[in-house]
Amino acid sequence: MQPYQEEYVRNLKEIADLRRFYRDGEPDFERWYQNRRECAARIRTLSRENNELLGRELFPALDGLFGADSALIADLEEFSDALMDWKTNLDIGVYVAIHDALLSLYRIRKSRNDIIRELYKLGMGLYYLRTFLTGVDDEESDALRIRNGMFFTEAASYLRYFEEIDDEATRGYIIRAFANIALCLKDYKSRINASSRTLRILRDEHYRELAPGLPWQAFLRATHQQMSTNRAGLSRGNLTTAELSEVLDSCHEVFKPEEQADNPSIRWLWPYYEMEYNCGYVNLKTTLDRMEELIAATKYDQYDMSGLYGNVQLAIYYGRFMRDNPSLREEEKRVRFLEFSYRKMLETMMTCPPELFNNYFVYTIASLISGFYEMEGGLSYREVMELLMQRYAGELYIRSRRTGEMMRVISAAVFDANPRFFDEIPQIGEISNPEIKREALLAYACDCGLFCDFGLLKMNFERTMQSRSLFENEYQMSCLHTVSGYDDLSRRASTATFADIALGHHAYYSGAGGYPKKYVRNTSPYRQMTDIAAVVSFLCDEWEKSPARDVSAMLPKETGRFSPVILSFVQDAGVSGQLLNILSGDDRPYYRTIHQKLFSLGNA
Amino acid sequence: MGKEYAVRRPDGAILYSSAGFDVSAVTDTALLSDGNELLICGTDSLAEENRDLLAQLEEAKAANIAKETFLSNMSHDIRTPMNAIIGMAALAKNHIDEKNRVIDALGKIETASGHLLSLINDVLDMSRINSGRMQIANESFLLSDLLHDTMTILRPQIAAKHHSYQLITQEITRERLIGDVLKLRQIYVNIINNSVKYTNDGGNITITVSEEIRGDRCLLIFVCEDNGIGMSREFLERIFDPFERVNSSTISKIEGTGLGMSIVKKMVDAMSGTIDVESELGEFTRIRIAIPLRYETEPLVIDALRDHRLLIIETDEKQKALFEEYLREALVSVTIVPDAPKAIDAITEASFRGEEKFRALILGKSHDGEGSVFQIASYFHSANPELPIILASDDNWEEIEYQANRSGIHTFIPLPFFRKSLLNSINHAVLGESDEDRSPYPQLAGKKILLVEDNMINREIAGELLSVTNAQVITAENGQEAVERYLSEEEGSLSLILMDIQMPVMDGYEAASKIRGSGRSDAGTIPIFAMTANTFAEDIAKAKAAGMNGHIGKPIDMNLLMQTLRLIET
Repeated sequence: MQPYQEEYVRNLKEIADLRRFYRDGEPDFERWYQNRRECAARIRTLSRENNELLGRELFPALDGLFGADSALIADLEEFSDALMDWKTNLDIGVYVAIHDALLSLYRIRKSRNDIIRELYKLGMGLYYLRTFLTGVDDEESDALRIRNGMFFTEAASYLRYFEEIDDEATRGYIIRAFANIALCLKDYKSRINASSRTLRILRDEHYRELAPGLPWQAFLRATHQQMSTNRAGLSRGNLTTAELSEVLDSCHEVFKPEEQADNPSIRWLWPYYEMEYNCGYVNLKTTLDRMEELIAATKYDQYDMSGLYGNVQLAIYYGRFMRDNPSLREEEKRVRFLEFSYRKMLETMMTCPPELFNNYFVYTIASLISGFYEMEGGLSYREVMELLMQRYAGELYIRSRRTGEMMRVISAAVFDANPRFFDEIPQIGEISNPEIKREALLAYACDCGLFCDFGLLKMNFERTMQSRSLFENEYQMSCLHTVSGYDDLSRRASTATFADIALGHHAYYSGAGGYPKKYVRNTSPYRQMTDIAAVVSFLCDEWEKSPARDVSAMLPKETGRFSPVILSFVQDAGVSGQLLNILSGDDRPYYRTIHQKLFSLGNA
Repeated sequence: MGKEYAVRRPDGAILYSSAGFDVSAVTDTALLSDGNELLICGTDSLAEENRDLLAQLEEAKAANIAKETFLSNMSHDIRTPMNAIIGMAALAKNHIDEKNRVIDALGKIETASGHLLSLINDVLDMSRINSGRMQIANESFLLSDLLHDTMTILRPQIAAKHHSYQLITQEITRERLIGDVLKLRQIYVNIINNSVKYTNDGGNITITVSEEIRGDRCLLIFVCEDNGIGMSREFLERIFDPFERVNSSTISKIEGTGLGMSIVKKMVDAMSGTIDVESELGEFTRIRIAIPLRYETEPLVIDALRDHRLLIIETDEKQKALFEEYLREALVSVTIVPDAPKAIDAITEASFRGEEKFRALILGKSHDGEGSVFQIASYFHSANPELPIILASDDNWEEIEYQANRSGIHTFIPLPFFRKSLLNSINHAVLGESDEDRSPYPQLAGKKILLVEDNMINREIAGELLSVTNAQVITAENGQEAVERYLSEEEGSLSLILMDIQMPVMDGYEAASKIRGSGRSDAGTIPIFAMTANTFAEDIAKAKAAGMNGHIGKPIDMNLLMQTLRLIET
């Protein structure tokens, strides 16, 4: 690697360490606060350095790639490998940028084996990039998935020339690309068929003999694992006998040895039980009893993959059973167990030591955000999500609290001028007492601010944003936080009233710009609050870029972006003064909340 | 001698008589429509003259009655939507702070205005027809275009009522016809629209188009059949009378003006055609329109595509059969695959085996697997930029053109297609009459592009890539030189500036700002695109802030470059 590449990798590792450190337990608030500030300052310095390194070295290298020599290309390859492995994925964005450029180069050079390798690597890069969009079901996430699949498909299309491609490594890329097509398919049947085709190839001696050096057994096991992830499809009733037997066969291959082991890992044991339930071998009661046993047997402070699986994933699955089977909600024992498993899950999530945060942990958080089942009288989604934000996205939490405070100030000014202004918001409009209405409105405004960027929590762009500036494609992906936040918030009673604000706070008032297209202002009863969130969100962004002395200086000159009514209040001297105070004010109170919360949950 | 006359009541009393009237010399009588009798006396010629006058009087009276009926109907039909407009406008005003009510009122005003507009259009049509001012144009048109456009207009209404429809085109040999295409479309839209309206949700509509050749004329036969509410025998007798509408509790009264069928009939008559209606109340309606049209015999260059290979993604059996039939007749080697992965396989095979490459990829009406045609086209275009991509679709081209162009789609074939329209479109895309026609790249002959790039190899490669567009490419090696070059060119003569960002002397941001601020007449409008490997979102935003219109990744992203060039092509 070249010196700048080594420095970049070093910086990323230091940022990862700092991010862990500043979440670490320190009972004294002032010391904890100072540590966080110092870490944050160091991260900002490193991030600036990273931007400079990429701008000064990498981008010119990619600019001149058509004339690059083999040493420079080899360095780029090595650099990209250092940026991505399945555990840490230091920088997927730069990995994708490098391989995208290399693919263009090799297409121009018509260098077949290089094209196959780059198709595979770019496919992998996009696959990992897509993990930022876990649980985001949208036209744009679909487009990325399909593009991802096309890269694997093109590399895999060389399989029929396996004999004629005289390079074992390239043959390996073809096989792996073939298997990975299944990663980019949406429905069970297509995935089963894709994995089934792969298994046939992997079992075919003809291919094995042609490339004896490839890790065929590992490929086989990985593909069985891939196939076994379709076990939920077993209960759908639309699989053919052949498809059913393929999935069962793979489940057997992957889980049976574990099930028979002395100390089976819960990660393999539960899928086996699940498969038995989905096939109808065992009934729901037995399945839930087994599940309860597994959850109860996992200690809350077991933070390895098995522990996270037992404490978090299984609790989510348990909640899903409760959601899908209304009769279970009548069984007091099950209801109590759900509450117990959710509280235990929360304990695990809130006390997990920072050094154990890895990709699987990030995936676990995303699963929790998507899969949490909110039952009346039980833990609320709102409560759990606020804790997650405090624990795993401190910067997002603090920014959201600020947003909420600012929305509160504007809402108060608007309400005082026109108490009926917010009457279309159902829970506000129905209050007749003006004082109670005002209080309810202001509390609601604060909460809207807290949840307006909620989608970012699941998308986990925070790490990338702290390591360097976002690339344009990453920025476009991050815009989906509006859709993602809306989907998750709207599905739970405790957060449904914040969903429209999360969806629409980046859309233009006039409808002529911003995002997402899905937000239709006129039909939303929450639009007045969304209008306020739009202005505040913009002001916070501008403030982070460059603080100004007055609010008007930060507002854009263009018309149509914000509600003129809200703008007139924001520009009022009294209101704008309060907004500036919040933007520039001491952030200790927010941090203190986080600190207290963490320690009240035993983080120390 | 002049004619004299009198009017006699049924009871025999004379109501009125002219001065010289002699009751004993009555030569002719006539019964008037009011029951009185006209008595005429005078010479034969006078009697004839009187008969003429009588006829004119009756005509005038009939016209008067028609006018009264018309006005009575019109006042009702106009007043109804006007009431809605006025009423809803008032309601909106009264509830100005209640957005939901205002939105609801505006929606109703929109609907009523639309109805009123169609009523006025119909009345104007009728007036034009009645006054003999309707002219039948004789212009050449493609039958496939007529049917495609007709269905494009109607598809949203059909979908809104969840009808299923089938467009069956029987053996068509005369594809280019001569006639009034706009009126034909108006007739077909009117007929199908009635089927859509007067068929309960989820119905079936079948449209069949066929031809009969009669010497130098082609009888174009259009049949529209539905399983809708049908019509009574009594109504069928009045179907072409103005303001007649089927009454039905399930059909909203405001849906039609009642002039449509009357206009259709008059248009068909004016084109010397025939219209036949069969219907059974509660069962079906079948309308057959046959119009004789002249036709053009287009040369079909059947050999031009001989042995060329075409790759088609299509799963619709009917479309596959048509592709196979028409293209195999032309001796084209056709490979039809059901999905994009199979198409990738086929292209890889051709490339690996060193076989003759596919000359075009046709994306058909439907395909297996995932992804929209645009996503598929975009991938194929970036992987094989030299492969023309043709879209055969029943979509409205105007609606999808931007997205299609950005995905690298080179040619559009509207559905339904016939033998000649298919072959000629493919001929044009693949072979073309000129290099420009057959190039999958945008053609920019006569346009001048300023390429600003400090790296010599990149300049050469970009120049090479741009050469396929036939544009004139001039270059600059840094921002300063770019600004000077721009200023030295005649105003308006440059069509595009492709600007590297990181350059010595002056970077791309500053150069773009200086060009935008130069005060020249084209300073604000000339497209400037950044070409940079730096894709940080904030730098892309910085490029936009400097006045650039967009960016193209580096090393040069051929797909994006061509998409950008297409913008200036159009």
